[in-house]
Amino acid sequence: MPKSVLSCTVNDEAVEVLVRPYDTLLDSLREDLGLTGPKEGCGTGDCGACTVHLDGKPVASCLMLAMQARGRKVLTIEGLGRWDLLHPLQEAFVRLGVAQCGFCIPGVLMAAAAVLAENPHPTEEEIRYGIAGNLCRCTGYTKMLTAITEVAAATDAGGSRR
Amino acid sequence: MTMKTTRDVKGVGLSIPRPDGPEKVLGRVQYVADLPRRGLLHAKLLRSPHAHARIVKIDTSKAKALPGVRAVLTAADIPELKKKAPTRAHAVLAIDRVVFAGQPVAAVAADEPAIAEEALDLIEVQYEVLPVSVDPLLSMQPGAPAVADAGTEADTREALAHSAVAVAKSDAPPPKAVNVSQQSKFQKGDVAKGFAESDLVLENTYRVPMVHQGYLEPHAVLAEWDSTGQLTLWASTQGSFNTRSEVADVLEIPENRIRVVPVECGGGFGGKIRALCEPITAVLSRVTGRPVRYVMTRREELQAGMPAPQVIIRLKTGVKRDGTLMALEAETILDSGAFSGTVLTVSAVFLGSMYRWPAFDIRGIEVLTHKPSVAAYRAPVAPQTIFAIESQMEQIARTLGLDSVEFRLRHLIQEGDPMVNGHPWQSNGAREVLERIGAHPLWKTRKEWVRSNGKNGSVRRGVGFALGGWLGGLQPTSATVRLNPDGSLSVLTGQVDIAGTNIALAQIAASAYGLDLDKVRITTGDTDVAPVTGLSAGSKTVYTVGTAVLQAAQDARRQTLDIAAKELEAAAEDLEIEDGRVVVRGVPDRGVTLASIGKKGNLYMSKVSPVLGVSRPAFSQQAPGFAAQLARLEVDTDTGEVVLRDFVVVQDVGKAINPLGVEGQMQGGAVQSLGMALSEGLIYDELGRLTNPSLLDYRKLTAADLPNIETIIVEKPSPSGPFGARGVGEPPIIPAPAAIANAIHDATGVRITECPISPERIALAFAAKPTA
Repeated sequence: MPKSVLSCTVNDEAVEVLVRPYDTLLDSLREDLGLTGPKEGCGTGDCGACTVHLDGKPVASCLMLAMQARGRKVLTIEGLGRWDLLHPLQEAFVRLGVAQCGFCIPGVLMAAAAVLAENPHPTEEEIRYGIAGNLCRCTGYTKMLTAITEVAAATDAGGSRR
Repeated sequence: MTMKTTRDVKGVGLSIPRPDGPEKVLGRVQYVADLPRRGLLHAKLLRSPHAHARIVKIDTSKAKALPGVRAVLTAADIPELKKKAPTRAHAVLAIDRVVFAGQPVAAVAADEPAIAEEALDLIEVQYEVLPVSVDPLLSMQPGAPAVADAGTEADTREALAHSAVAVAKSDAPPPKAVNVSQQSKFQKGDVAKGFAESDLVLENTYRVPMVHQGYLEPHAVLAEWDSTGQLTLWASTQGSFNTRSEVADVLEIPENRIRVVPVECGGGFGGKIRALCEPITAVLSRVTGRPVRYVMTRREELQAGMPAPQVIIRLKTGVKRDGTLMALEAETILDSGAFSGTVLTVSAVFLGSMYRWPAFDIRGIEVLTHKPSVAAYRAPVAPQTIFAIESQMEQIARTLGLDSVEFRLRHLIQEGDPMVNGHPWQSNGAREVLERIGAHPLWKTRKEWVRSNGKNGSVRRGVGFALGGWLGGLQPTSATVRLNPDGSLSVLTGQVDIAGTNIALAQIAASAYGLDLDKVRITTGDTDVAPVTGLSAGSKTVYTVGTAVLQAAQDARRQTLDIAAKELEAAAEDLEIEDGRVVVRGVPDRGVTLASIGKKGNLYMSKVSPVLGVSRPAFSQQAPGFAAQLARLEVDTDTGEVVLRDFVVVQDVGKAINPLGVEGQMQGGAVQSLGMALSEGLIYDELGRLTNPSLLDYRKLTAADLPNIETIIVEKPSPSGPFGARGVGEPPIIPAPAAIANAIHDATGVRITECPISPERIALAFAAKPTA
């Protein structure tokens, strides 16, 4: 099948890639752009491991066609923080030893970042529902909640880090 | 084991975050599906839609003609395949008969996954559908449609490898019925007399369906042959040496021609112990001369993974009015799916050995059915068994008006008591764990919690707990510890880190050698370079590999001190390691740096041997680990909805080498246990087809379903583990089904004996309850 050019912004860089009509956004990120942080845990939008931000909103990248991202802004785990400048959520996840097998973690972090971007001071229930689309089999979620809660508590009312 | 090091608090016992944390939060850790490889082909498997059928004909010609397809294989193309496959791994592709829905019948390798998938649609298979055995109780009956080919032997490797649970001398009769593949029997005393003299005889049947381990990363493997006939497998596995052995056995390749590289494992929980898709991927690579990757889809995982067996336990107990235990009779039926391989005797051990029953008769039966064959799932068969015995113990206590904690404590086993197989219980913390539940504020205030019942409309409140245990696995292992030219240490094992064990092993090495943790680097090597080791399973990594690392570090320390003793003209006994130097005790300025010792071991013309600590222990003494869990919840008796308000895990870990990691194990295990209790189950129709093959319909618990999990670590040192440590991984998955059933009974007066304890089951049971 013929390929088409997908132009969009990924992790703040303009990219152009050739995609097949049936490629999902997850396929394109992983195979064409080498961004393997987003994972395929189910391929049907049920596990959340492929979560990325599209124009700032969390989406299951396995449920979108790549071409639907044309002209839009995609943020993956690779763009959330850098190795020498971790996002506060990433820093808290490391410090509290949240990640075990780690497979769900990129998706959980993207979902949690979206929760905090929308509401810097969510209730416990809002955090729980905010990451309820992300399945984790190792952690029981408790340390995730602690990490997200700590980051929220360290953010002032205007949304910047204390 | 008594340890004498200068700084054993510096490593062991500290909550140190896993060193792989940064790579994991950055999304940079690579799993098998993420590995790049030039010339990579993608594999897909065609799977049978029928649970039992004869393969009349397979036509692959159209699939082979599709551009981009590099190989299409059926069993006829693989000469090594044997008709009587002794294990699931040997059944690479079905030969002439399929025995479960989802069994692979053909394999494709193509340039792109989409092409491989299209090729599957072009393969024409003609089946003759045969009658099925789906329900294990029917499958046990004479005349049921046979699952295995006649003459296939029972597979007890799982039991041997995984749990070392007394693959006991049980004087079971040989299997008679066609689908009964294993039996066990344990007897003591006069059971009939015991029941006759009892004041309270209770009999219940407990049921837990097949459940999936639920690891987030599906099975995946990348295979590549080189031109000399060397096979490399990059695998998501819980045991690279085991994978090597199984693949070598199935494909008749010498083991040293296979290199298994254990890639970061995205969860296993027992489901990635045995080989599954490695052999077919290796064959596709051999046939095409190209690297081939196979990644299972989630649907395939649920339909054709290796779930936990369905468990049916009929349990009859007799006790005196004062609570004296008289007799226990039980029958455990394990549905093993299409191939034998369950850990049958675990159920007998925990039914009959947690409390002191003077008379018992416990039978176990493994039954084959036309469903996917099973594997271990974190403490295999223990949660289901504890569901039965701990539900029963609670009913006895309540019926007799006895305190639930005291009743259990009164009859709880102690060190030295015989288990049903006659082996003595080793030192364990069962009593300490139970006492902590009894002292917990949520238990002490349970009456206040329940008091509001009836005042909130249909919402009732309850508290329940259960105790569970695991005997702890054993397997020989080995490790090396090297001193580097800069004075740092390198620890090498072949152990796959599925639970944060590498940081714990590094902590053990640091403490045992006498070096700061940041000077210790631990590596999991592949099967070509690593010293041999066992599975990451059975809660035995820290217990066994930790011992190897401890001894190898002690060996390296001895060698280091011997070298320093010559240089310092002092006795090795008078030396100690401090701040990266070997110094004479009490004379801190007389010393030599570890770096200089390391350098001399790697210097041209040097006469100093390199420091290489080695240990290769085997084990005979298990270290049982006990955990108790307490649930405080609310039940809406109209809808059956359960809201879990609090959940507590108390666990004896012997010594928490890394408390942060231990908590993570306790919390994660608890939530898997709660999933088994509340929401999970593979549901098959009467033709043996899975009706819920997606994560929408197979319900795992989410963050929104749960409270925070409180963890209480108990440390009763094991006499033999490193620094007193016991296995940690499995005990926390055990108690919740019983704890939840007990809490729901506390709330509603309704006793549920079948998992998952779903809203539907609760509401129906409550509606059927006779009103007082």
